[in-house]
Amino acid sequence: MFDESFDVIVIGAGHAGCEAASASARLGTETALVTINLDLIGQMSCNPAVGGIAKGHVVREIDALGGIMGRVIDRTGIQFRLLNRSRGPAVQSPRAQADRSLYRTEMRSVLEATPNLHLRQGTVINLIVDNNRVIGVEMQDSRNFGAKSVVIATGTFLNGTIHTGRKTFSAGRAGEPASIELAENLKQHGFPVGRLKTGTPPRLDGRTIDWDAFEAQPPDEKPVPFSFATEKIEQPQIECHIGYTSERLHQTIRDNLHQSPLYSGKITGIGPRYCPSIEDKVVKFADKDRHQLFLEPEGHNTNEVYLNGFSTSLPSTLQLELLRMIDGFENVKIIRPGYAIEYDFVDPREMRPTMESTRMDGLFLSGQINGTTGYEEAACQGLLAGINAAFSVQKRKPFILQRDEAYIGVLADDLIRHGVDEPYRLFTSRAEARLTLRHDNADERLSPKGREAGLVGDTDWERFNKKRDRIANLRNALDFTRFKRSSVEYAGISQILGADLGDSITLSQLAMRQGVQADLIHRLLPEACSDVRVTELETALADSLYSGYIEKQKAATERVNHHDTLKVPETFQFNAISGLSNEMVERLERARPRNFGQVRTIAGLTPAAISTVLVHLTAHIPAGTGQN
Amino acid sequence: MRLISNPAYPVYPVTNFMPDTIVALATPTGRSGIGVIRLSGSDSLRITGKFFGDADFVPDPQNAHLKRLHDPTTGEVIDEAIITYFKAPHSFTGEDVIEISCHGSPVLLRQVIDICLANDARMADAGEFSLRALANGRIDLAEAEAIRDLIDAQTVSSVRQAIRQLRGEFSKQLQPLKDDLLNVIVVLESALEFVEDDLPEIQAENVKSRLKAIAAETEKLAATFKAGRLIREGLRVALVGRPNVGKSSLFNALLGSDRAIVTEIAGTTRDQIHERFTIDDIPISLIDTAGLRETTDTVESIGVERSKATMADVDVVIVMLDASEELTKEDNEILGSVEGISHIIVGNKIDKLTPEEAVGFESKIKSQRPRTVLVSAKTGKGLDDLKDSIVRPFATEDTARSGFLVSDARHHDLLVRAAAGIEQSLDQMNQKMSEEIVLIGLQNALRSLGEITGETTTGDMLTRIFSTFCIGK
Repeated sequence: MFDESFDVIVIGAGHAGCEAASASARLGTETALVTINLDLIGQMSCNPAVGGIAKGHVVREIDALGGIMGRVIDRTGIQFRLLNRSRGPAVQSPRAQADRSLYRTEMRSVLEATPNLHLRQGTVINLIVDNNRVIGVEMQDSRNFGAKSVVIATGTFLNGTIHTGRKTFSAGRAGEPASIELAENLKQHGFPVGRLKTGTPPRLDGRTIDWDAFEAQPPDEKPVPFSFATEKIEQPQIECHIGYTSERLHQTIRDNLHQSPLYSGKITGIGPRYCPSIEDKVVKFADKDRHQLFLEPEGHNTNEVYLNGFSTSLPSTLQLELLRMIDGFENVKIIRPGYAIEYDFVDPREMRPTMESTRMDGLFLSGQINGTTGYEEAACQGLLAGINAAFSVQKRKPFILQRDEAYIGVLADDLIRHGVDEPYRLFTSRAEARLTLRHDNADERLSPKGREAGLVGDTDWERFNKKRDRIANLRNALDFTRFKRSSVEYAGISQILGADLGDSITLSQLAMRQGVQADLIHRLLPEACSDVRVTELETALADSLYSGYIEKQKAATERVNHHDTLKVPETFQFNAISGLSNEMVERLERARPRNFGQVRTIAGLTPAAISTVLVHLTAHIPAGTGQN
Repeated sequence: MRLISNPAYPVYPVTNFMPDTIVALATPTGRSGIGVIRLSGSDSLRITGKFFGDADFVPDPQNAHLKRLHDPTTGEVIDEAIITYFKAPHSFTGEDVIEISCHGSPVLLRQVIDICLANDARMADAGEFSLRALANGRIDLAEAEAIRDLIDAQTVSSVRQAIRQLRGEFSKQLQPLKDDLLNVIVVLESALEFVEDDLPEIQAENVKSRLKAIAAETEKLAATFKAGRLIREGLRVALVGRPNVGKSSLFNALLGSDRAIVTEIAGTTRDQIHERFTIDDIPISLIDTAGLRETTDTVESIGVERSKATMADVDVVIVMLDASEELTKEDNEILGSVEGISHIIVGNKIDKLTPEEAVGFESKIKSQRPRTVLVSAKTGKGLDDLKDSIVRPFATEDTARSGFLVSDARHHDLLVRAAAGIEQSLDQMNQKMSEEIVLIGLQNALRSLGEITGETTTGDMLTRIFSTFCIGK
């Protein structure tokens, strides 16, 4: 019946699909990665960049677990910057501009070098299902592939529709066909499908830009890599540039809103509020007289420039007219116009924390199909789905990450618990344990889990263990290295800080003082710690910086969360609670909370409704367990 | 009966919901013109119908119906009453509710309730009507707490206070504070999350002064708890003195009615008598004690023992002396026993004294005990002075203030926590600490305020961010 059979089939070779296929194959299951166009594996459909606040955290988590995104961007990144350098370590995060074409090539060669991984080109049009279990996929070219688990990672391709001005056409990305049959097939299987929207700005010809009119944004002098395995960033680093829109441009947009599919009502899908189109920015923030634009080169060997901040679905002719109102763009030429794209997503509230659907056995969903946005958000779901697809074939226990151990856990939990109203993006404020989930300690948090799963190889594991030992020694040294008033060091430090330090001071105490940099402590470390790197020292210092606050935060949350463990019985009927409005019942039923803690955080519930549920839950405690 | 056992929340009895119909007297016990009996539950109509032999009694909701009540077993007419029907879910509890307004005789009211109980109604637990309202989503937690206060409310002022809270005034007072706090959080969170966006730079001084204002307002609100509690809980005042100095007369004079037995025979008041009255809207619980003296009469000696215990357990003790007589050994013993306890000396029977003698008595006592008041329980002279000296040390500016007073200990605790969280963050801002640390105290404060008025979710905060700042490359 099947032309070929695999353990796991991954549909789609974007950021989710690549992680899923790589993880599944490396865990020892025969894996096929099926994609419409093999030459566009790992394509960055939107901005050529990886990381940023919270997103950079996720890339480091993926890397710590044994995923591939961090390594690939480290080899292809052309401008690295550590964001939030002036703030605390918990909210710092790496970000890098990628060479779009190099990233693709690198990703493909990483996948091609992976044993058990098989690339197949073609369009999947149907899932082959037996007794509510997916057993394979049917291809447009009439091939049938068998599988024990299937991961769908189709991005914006499901029923994708592109809008520019009044023109609308079916596409998965500019220049590529949408996946219409598969979308239809999922609907037939009863998957609850919604519609989301996202957009992308025009790409410009760099030779037609007057670069001197823009402010240069240099890369970091010492690039901070994403992967814990990367010693050094080899790619030459480039500058990006910053510019601004003008009032005249805003007025022209206002005058032409009728040409925007967003404002003419043609687009019904919901777009992300944190990634608004230029039309949206001008309309919603009318008092702002200029909006910031970033000119991001697409790579070393191309003239294409990505105009970040100018996402638009206005007609292409108007796009050019608007751009030429910007200083430095007087003669600019557009290579690819910006556009908006609407696509289907599947309501993620039906999913398990393993990314497996509750509707069909063996079927995993990951990436934008679950309503998220962002390469990093997609990649981490792909990793989860890939691991669990393989585990399910191998009959191993599910691999799940909790909210307090990884941003990946926060993302999965948010999706399942709340679903999405707009494309979901990670923010550090979504994590209750923000101070614990740092980018620099991702390996400490997750590498043991990745090792146990089987994704962290021997070399990486050995490196991790050596680092862990060094940091343990280091902590010791910080607490026990003491400088007395009589020592040479004391005099030196005292002079640098311009302050008396008491009779003696330990390195830990010194590190806690205002204005003391890690570099200074590093120079003062004893001989036994000579192999400790500054980054490792920073990690140790961050732990002690936050330790007190983490306790405080925990205590305060626990006070509020007193009832959180109160279970919602499976048989509990929210609609049987008289006095709850239909809307409240609907929200509760949609969220299907398992305990009171989840009830408390359901969006849109009134305090009265929450109190009511609490009273009823307490009334459901079996007699004898409460006080009499 | 099960209880929710969370120290952070008031204890609500959680009984089995809905199946049974509960009944209780809705007006205060005691003699009054009208007494209202309230029934809530699906059987309310059937039970009410029993009073006039109408098994299918269904009056128009919300209208008053004048009905003659019969005792269903004897057929005897017991009263004429006004029946009001509140149909579920449009009632206070969300269930079918009947209110029977009869004449206020305690015996009659008791009889009506007994008939309800005989017909399968159940006597309501304290606060159970509110609990049902809460369970049916008719009121929220803050309102339920206000109603509990309303039930306990003893005076006009505390009723006014409870009603104000019921109308959501507390939430209304807190909302702007919470909003301001959220706005500051939004500024700090945005600075962390959207570093690459063209956001206005954080004006540290501006943020600090906004936080100071919020903390100050929160503290001010928390500080009204002293007055709020005073108005809610009132003061306990004990009246001591040797027999026959006129304690019972003063007691009655303060109450304005003949409550205690007044005779000329020493030692008549063998039991402690509690009575309530108000001074400037502050409820006062006045305890008349048996005469303090050594006695061989066993019944009286129990009363004397109890008086001594009572003195240790009140807010202020009034020591009564007979200003028309010399101080006796007993008087001096009593004066000695109140050393270290907050007390007021009252010289009674000044109506028997010449003005010169009164001045002489006062100056003699006042030199040792500055809180001395001369009164005549008989003529009422000096009573206002006495009332004023009872409450003056406890009253604050807030007591007389017409604004909102926090009267619930849980709310007070949460406000104090909120203010402390903000103060902690201010401290950290002064030390130039990074925003993620400063935000801990602010988020904790927001959570505390949210425990009173409802939670602010991350989603709410993000919504505020995206509507405040233009985010997104």
